[in-house]
This record gives sequence, structure tokens and C-alpha cells, in this order.
Amino acid sequence: MSTWVVFRREVAHYAGSPFAYLIAFAILVLTGLLFREELVATETTIPNPAVIPNALSFFMVVFAPLLTMRLVAEEKREGTLELLLTAPVPDGSIVIGKFLGAWFYYTIVIGITLLYQIALSSVTAPDLGHTIAAYIGIWLYGGATLSVGILFSALTENQIVAAFLSMVALFLLWLADLAGQVISNIDAARVVRALSLQGHYSTSFAVGLVRMEDMVFFLGIILIMIYLATRAVESNRWR
Amino acid sequence: MIEVENLTKKYGALTAVDRISFKTKPGEIVGLLGPNGAGKTTTMRMLTGFLPPTEGSARISGHDIDTDSIEARRAVGYMPERIPVYPDMTVRAYVTFWARLRGMRRPASQVDKVLKQVQLFDRRDTLIRHLSKGMRQRLGLAQALVHDPPVIILDEPTIGIDPQQVIEVRETVRALRANHTVLLSTHILSEAEHVCDRVLIINKGQIVAQGKPGDLREKLQGGALLYVEIGGATAKDAKALLAGIPNVTSVEKEDKGWRLRISTSVDVRGEVSKRIMSAGYTLLEMRAETTSLEAIFLELISKEGSAT
Ligand SMILES: Nc1ncnc2c1ncn2[C@@H]1O[C@H](COP(=O)(O)OP(=O)(O)OP(=O)(O)O)[C@@H](O)[C@H]1O
Ligand SMILES: [Mg+2]
Repeated sequence: MSTWVVFRREVAHYAGSPFAYLIAFAILVLTGLLFREELVATETTIPNPAVIPNALSFFMVVFAPLLTMRLVAEEKREGTLELLLTAPVPDGSIVIGKFLGAWFYYTIVIGITLLYQIALSSVTAPDLGHTIAAYIGIWLYGGATLSVGILFSALTENQIVAAFLSMVALFLLWLADLAGQVISNIDAARVVRALSLQGHYSTSFAVGLVRMEDMVFFLGIILIMIYLATRAVESNRWR
Repeated sequence: MIEVENLTKKYGALTAVDRISFKTKPGEIVGLLGPNGAGKTTTMRMLTGFLPPTEGSARISGHDIDTDSIEARRAVGYMPERIPVYPDMTVRAYVTFWARLRGMRRPASQVDKVLKQVQLFDRRDTLIRHLSKGMRQRLGLAQALVHDPPVIILDEPTIGIDPQQVIEVRETVRALRANHTVLLSTHILSEAEHVCDRVLIINKGQIVAQGKPGDLREKLQGGALLYVEIGGATAKDAKALLAGIPNVTSVEKEDKGWRLRISTSVDVRGEVSKRIMSAGYTLLEMRAETTSLEAIFLELISKEGSAT
């Protein structure tokens, strides 16, 4: 109930926020440009059905922090957090509501990019299963990046600091995949890749594979981040 | 109803609230009066479930703030010192949000009612960022009242608004006592006097005095004060005459007249004028002095200060 109330407020906020529209616009323009390249290329090659999700997997390093930076930091700065923490609801329900609000907004935005896929299927016959797998992957992947963003937003009052720190964190998680590919020690490489976001996307969902372990990985990240963010919110009671 | 027992809050080495205890009755408006840094906000933050106490306990409508926090919080409406707002929400959406978060399923009619109560109904579709300071203050009040909690806690509800609005907010608060227990903090003495049924004076985290505003004044200043100006008498004679009146405990020179301290709340004015007349003098002026609670408050606080 309280999660739902917070969720609705966050969705209403995104729906009325010029900044959120700007981010959606940027995502749609960037993916649109890539899609155009892909369309042009259809004359000579078979298009990759996962081209847009693949691009999103990198874009979210930047956009997830921008979408989530205000979620808790702003409440702290405006003093509304004090009032939220005196409401008769568990602290976790507030964090979960906020996270789901951000994830919902993200879902709408990637939903719009599906239009490109529809356009593509009118030109060629892309592998639909492959596309769906990639979208499931990028949806979970996006959720995980947003949960990292909300954790950093809960750790500071300053939105810019929150965004910066989560960009750094996400970039490292993204890089870990590359690192895993160049590390010569096979076991070490496996561990590093197993912890990277890309490692659970680029070799599975991106090639059309929906694997349980990757879904569990992203959902696990989300749960851990929400738990940590809740503890960070709670810590405001102990100042 | 609020019951507080030995409530204590320490921030590291600093004891912000030091073993305070008090009880409120239903339908009572209790004022927490104290200077800056006295511990008013800290006390309220513990009662509203925002900060856990270091020691001691408190119950809101019978629910312990520590062991039964959610139920205790459900029974409270809280208006923090700095009104927390979402600038991008409309007045109505904001109040509706808080109503829902506190468990109301269909708050629309209650939201309208409370907006009328604080005179913001005409502004219900205005974005909060466009509200004046006084309107935000009333919005803060609306948010605290909307779920109709038995206990309402207001942290300096009239700070930073113009005198007209101060009066309106005070009237709104006075009207609440029919159905609610109200705890409000202020550092303005006259406000505590006008609005509260009972006042707790708090300084350095401790309650230093408490009682009904009127009783408190009498107790603290040792009775009522009367200013008297006499014509046709020498200072010595006048003083002797006034000091001889029953229930007058002291006589001091003040401007052109005298300040009498009256031991109890009996009305000695008739006696004073009769005696002046029969001694052949003229009574030029006589008035009761009531503003000196301010002075007493300051005295009380500075006494505390010098003692530590
Ligand atoms: N979060 C905090 N951390 C450390 N010390 C604090 C904190 N909050 C308050 N204090 C200290 O506790 C004491 C009591 O502060 P509090 O805000 O409760 O006073 P107050 O009576 O509300 O004062 P004011 O009239 O200025 O609002 C002050 O000395 C203050 O500096
Ligand atoms: Mg205060």
C-alpha cells in the first residue's frame, strides 16, 4: 500500500519533469541514430536484432544515475525525508516505491524503442526471439543500474555527487567485463566477469539466450542495492 | 494523549534532551516553550518516531514509540520546523499524498475539508513552488491534520509569517483542541500564553517550570503586579501607605509611580484606591501589569544558565 503510494508519486514526478523528458529524448535520439545506421546497413548485411538493447547497456551507465540521483538526495535536502520517516510505514517500502517508479519510467522509455524494432521487421525479417531475449535482458540490466543509482542517492544530500559516484560505480561494473576479457588468469577473469553487468548480458541476452543465472544475477543486484539503500535511509535516524 | 517518561537524547557528548517527563490530557494544547537550542525540536523528533531516544520512553495514544513505533506514528500528525514541501506538486496532490501514505484509502473529501480549514481551498491546484511563506506554513498544518490523528505535534507553527497570518494559524490551532491533543513548540512567550492550556518551559534539555500560563506567571513572579501613580504625596509617605495595604508584598519605585507586588490573586485595586483617597491624595493612574512573564522567562533561563 505505502509502496504503491510512493510509486505513484514518483511516476507522477517523472511524468511532469522536463528533466526526465530530456533524458527520455536523449535515449530515443541516440538509439534512433544507431537504428538508422542499422537500417542503412540492411542493404548489405543482416541487421543485429539486439542493436538497440546493446547500445542501452552502455547508455545506462550515464542515464541511470541521472534518472535516480534525486530520488532520496532531494528528500533529504528538502527535509521531506524527516516527514516520510515519521509516516507509519516501513523504511523499505519507501525505497522500493521509489525504485519501482524509476524502473517503470525506464520500462516506458525502452518500450518506445520497440517502435524501431517494429519498423525494422517491416523492412527485413529479424529474429524475433533474439530481440525479445535482448529486451528482457536490458530491462533487468536497466533495473540493476537504477538500483545502484538509488543507493548512491541515499548516501548523500547532493544530487550531483550522487550522480557522479553512481556513474563511476556503473562504469567500473561495465569495465569489469572488458577487464575480464584481457586478464590472463582464467579463474580471476571468470570472477571479474561474473561480477560485471555486461558479463551477464553481452554473452547471453545479447545473443538471444535467456539464462536463469543471469536473471538471478540482475534481480540479486536489485535486492542487495535496495537493502543497502534502505539501510542508508534508515541511518538518517541515527545522526 | 502523550505520556513521556525520562526521555533523553544524546548527540555524542551533547545531551540535547535530558530526562524530561510529562503527560498530556486529551483535548489539551500543551506548549513547549524554550530558547534556541533548548531541545524542543529534538523532543518532537523523538515523539514523532523520527529519532530513537537514547534513554527513557514515551507513549502516543498508548503505543510505545520504541516497541510499537508504527502504531504510535499512525496516531501523530507532525509539522516540522522547516516545512517540507515538494515544489512540483499541487497543493491538493501534496496533501493527498500524505493522507494516502498514512493509510487513508479515499482521502478526497477529507483533503478538501482540511484545505478549507486552513484557507487553502482556493489554491488547491496551485503548484507549491508558487505559494507564499504563510501559505506553505498553512500547507504544513493541513498535511499534519489530514488523517485526523488524535495527537498533533507542531514545531514552531507561526515562525516567519506576518502578524495577520499568525493570528489565523493560532485560531486554527485553538480550534483543534475539541478533538485532538496538541503539542506545539515556540520561543515566543505570548504565543504560549494565548494558545496553550499548559506550558512546559524547557531549557538546556530540561523542564524548568510548568503549569497553566496564568498560574505559571503568578507562581514565578510571586503574585500579580500593579502599577500605581499617586498625586499630592511625598515619596516616603506614598511608599509607606502602599506598603501598609494587605496582600501587598513589595513596593518599588517605577517611573513616576510605584510597582506593587501582590501576594495572591486577590483584587486589591479597590482597597488601594480607597486608602489613597482617605489619606487625602489623588489616584492618577492604576493598571495591572501582565507583560512581565517575558522578563521572568528570561530570568529563569539565565538563572539556569549561570547555574551550570
Ligand atoms: N542532528 C544533530 N546533531 C548534533 N547535535 C544536534 C542535532 N540536532 C540538534 N542538535 C543540538 O541539540 C540541541 C537541541 O537542539 P534542538 O534543535 O532540539 O533545539 P530547539 O529547542 O528546537 O531550538 P530552536 O528554537 O533553535 O529550534 C542544540 O544544542 C543543537 O545544536
Ligand atoms: Mg527547533
